[in-house]
Amino acid sequence: MINTAGIDVGSGAVKVTVFRTDGAGEETLLGQVSTRIRRREIAKVVDETFDAAAEAAGVDEIHYIGTTGEGGEVPFATGHFYGMTTHARGALYLTPGIGAVLDVGALHTRAVAMDSHGRVKDYKMTSQCASGSGQFLENIARYLGVSHDEIGQLSMQSTKPEKVSSICAVLAETDVINMVSRGITTSDILRGVHESMAERFVRLLRSLSFDGAVFVSGGLASDTGMLAALRDTLDKKKDVARMEVVTHESAIFAGSIGAALWGAYRYRKLSQRGVAWTAASKVA
Amino acid sequence: MTCVIGIDLGSTTTKAVILDGNGDVLGRGITNSRSNYDLAAAVAKTEAFINARFGLIEQQVQATETAEAVYLLRRAFVMEQLLHQLRRLEHLLLEEVDKSAPRHLVAPFREAIEEICRRITVEEETRFRAPPVLRSDFFRDAVGSAFMRIAEQIGDPAGVSFDRLIGVYDKCIIRVENEPMDLDFRDHIGDALSRVSNPRLADAVEFAVAYDLTPAATVGTGYGRARLPFPKEQIRSEILCHGLGAHAMFPGTRTVLDIGGQDTKAIQVDAEGIVTGFQMNDRCAAGCGRYLGYIADEMNLGLHELGPLAELSKRAVKINSTCTVFAGAELRERLSLGEKREDILAGLHRAIVIRAMSLLARSGGVDNEFTFTGGVAKNPAAVRAIRELVHENYGERTLNISPESIYTGALGAALFANRMVA
Repeated sequence: MINTAGIDVGSGAVKVTVFRTDGAGEETLLGQVSTRIRRREIAKVVDETFDAAAEAAGVDEIHYIGTTGEGGEVPFATGHFYGMTTHARGALYLTPGIGAVLDVGALHTRAVAMDSHGRVKDYKMTSQCASGSGQFLENIARYLGVSHDEIGQLSMQSTKPEKVSSICAVLAETDVINMVSRGITTSDILRGVHESMAERFVRLLRSLSFDGAVFVSGGLASDTGMLAALRDTLDKKKDVARMEVVTHESAIFAGSIGAALWGAYRYRKLSQRGVAWTAASKVA
Repeated sequence: MTCVIGIDLGSTTTKAVILDGNGDVLGRGITNSRSNYDLAAAVAKTEAFINARFGLIEQQVQATETAEAVYLLRRAFVMEQLLHQLRRLEHLLLEEVDKSAPRHLVAPFREAIEEICRRITVEEETRFRAPPVLRSDFFRDAVGSAFMRIAEQIGDPAGVSFDRLIGVYDKCIIRVENEPMDLDFRDHIGDALSRVSNPRLADAVEFAVAYDLTPAATVGTGYGRARLPFPKEQIRSEILCHGLGAHAMFPGTRTVLDIGGQDTKAIQVDAEGIVTGFQMNDRCAAGCGRYLGYIADEMNLGLHELGPLAELSKRAVKINSTCTVFAGAELRERLSLGEKREDILAGLHRAIVIRAMSLLARSGGVDNEFTFTGGVAKNPAAVRAIRELVHENYGERTLNISPESIYTGALGAALFANRMVA
């Protein structure tokens, strides 16, 4: 029986999940914690989140600590996994039977097609520009004085979505100022942003081929407004086969779940001995 | 006395300049643009009138008092304005807590808010007694960083967390900014005067309060000019205003580079200040002032602190990202890898100047004399990068930079207003 942890360092938040895997391969989720970075020092946030997750899991030792995302520099990690593989594996754990993951993070959005074992077949990423990213949405919400968890609900109340024309994520903020001064409601602005994001996501998804539903992971998976806009946009595209969009309340942890599970797999494969972390000291 | 006003409604800041009948500057005012353009224009105008009235005080007491005495009064005035807004912010924060916080958290939440506001007040009073330090005058910047810092100190992860504190702050700061507030000269000069307890200034203050300044014409320009409540003939394009403003400040000007909040303009003017050609950047924040603003936010620094910090660099880092948001992420990544803040910042400054250079080249190059305007001209690291790159590409050029260069567009607008009256 081994304990493994997955640390997913994103641009917006750090997510940690702790798993127990027994001899029969039975996987038990012991604890998970996510912390928003909010411009604090990343190393400190990682430390904090890891400690909190280990405590929540109630374990004193962890055999393998896998990182993913931008976690390549975590000093007490055992190994690092690519984001595509961890998100695919984590999503498949949360919702068996899916065919693709759309990981909507703060800066990048990735669409990953996988086979029935969670192995990556193909993937596409947004370009090197933050237009339509999660950070973009967050900036706009901040400017509108809307807190993170109000975004979805407000967006869904929209009656006349406002088209967000600007391409640049930073300058779009000024477009929003313009909209506010023209008397456009917060709901219509947010829905407009969601629709422009959904258009981009649909383009990513259409460039891949896969069977099964699309699982939305990452920080924006909990944004019900974004999901609604994505579903509506997909429905409007007559030329593509219907794609089902699913998610899970723990979808934000998909990367960290994948890292913990792949960590357990690698640990067994390499028949490593010993523990990577004990409650007394971070580095074995 | 009659005067004319020019207003430059920029994407980041709104500037106002007041001229007397001879075209001499009486006062300048600046504020951050917000979602309410009318209000931003009104606040900038108020600030310009306050500035003009302080100018009057200075003239009145020239014989008897030092410039420092007036400067101290000015600082006291700014502090009174800030405390006034802080009290309003506290009121809104407490209201928001009562309305939206979970029942069991209301009491500790209120306590935390009161404690933060109390500490900010103490900090401000201490700051006033200490020698002045350069910082942003905008309420949002001054209070925002203090609020964040104190919230992180006293935030309790189990109850009234840092996230909760910042959440209500984000909501309320916008409301404070967007409601008209009594920030005028008359509203706070009394308190400021008693704070500095210098009775020798009293007569001059009274004179300045009573002095009649009647605007005869107003002209608007800038990114948000179409939204100013002015008739069309009182609106001029930014390009024309910047050309004329730069010409007025430096009559030898032939090339103007204006790096503003969200657009960068390269303008060629003739001997009369009339525009002969120009280029503007695309709708992308990379290469504009907003780029540096975003970086400053990312680093929890004031915009004015960036340049001096970058100046400490010995070896500028080459920034790989073009996109502003990605550059912000690259910055954080490099910081966590242990690279020096100043080296990364120097690289970021160089990156925006390189983009401006290509704009200059397309507008027809850099002719003598070369005038650099806009908010970014206040930034020493950007100026150094410009100086180096202009020298490399065009040889010896006279570089004009005025400490008031952020007001170039508003000055040009005021000059147009002056022509309407004359």
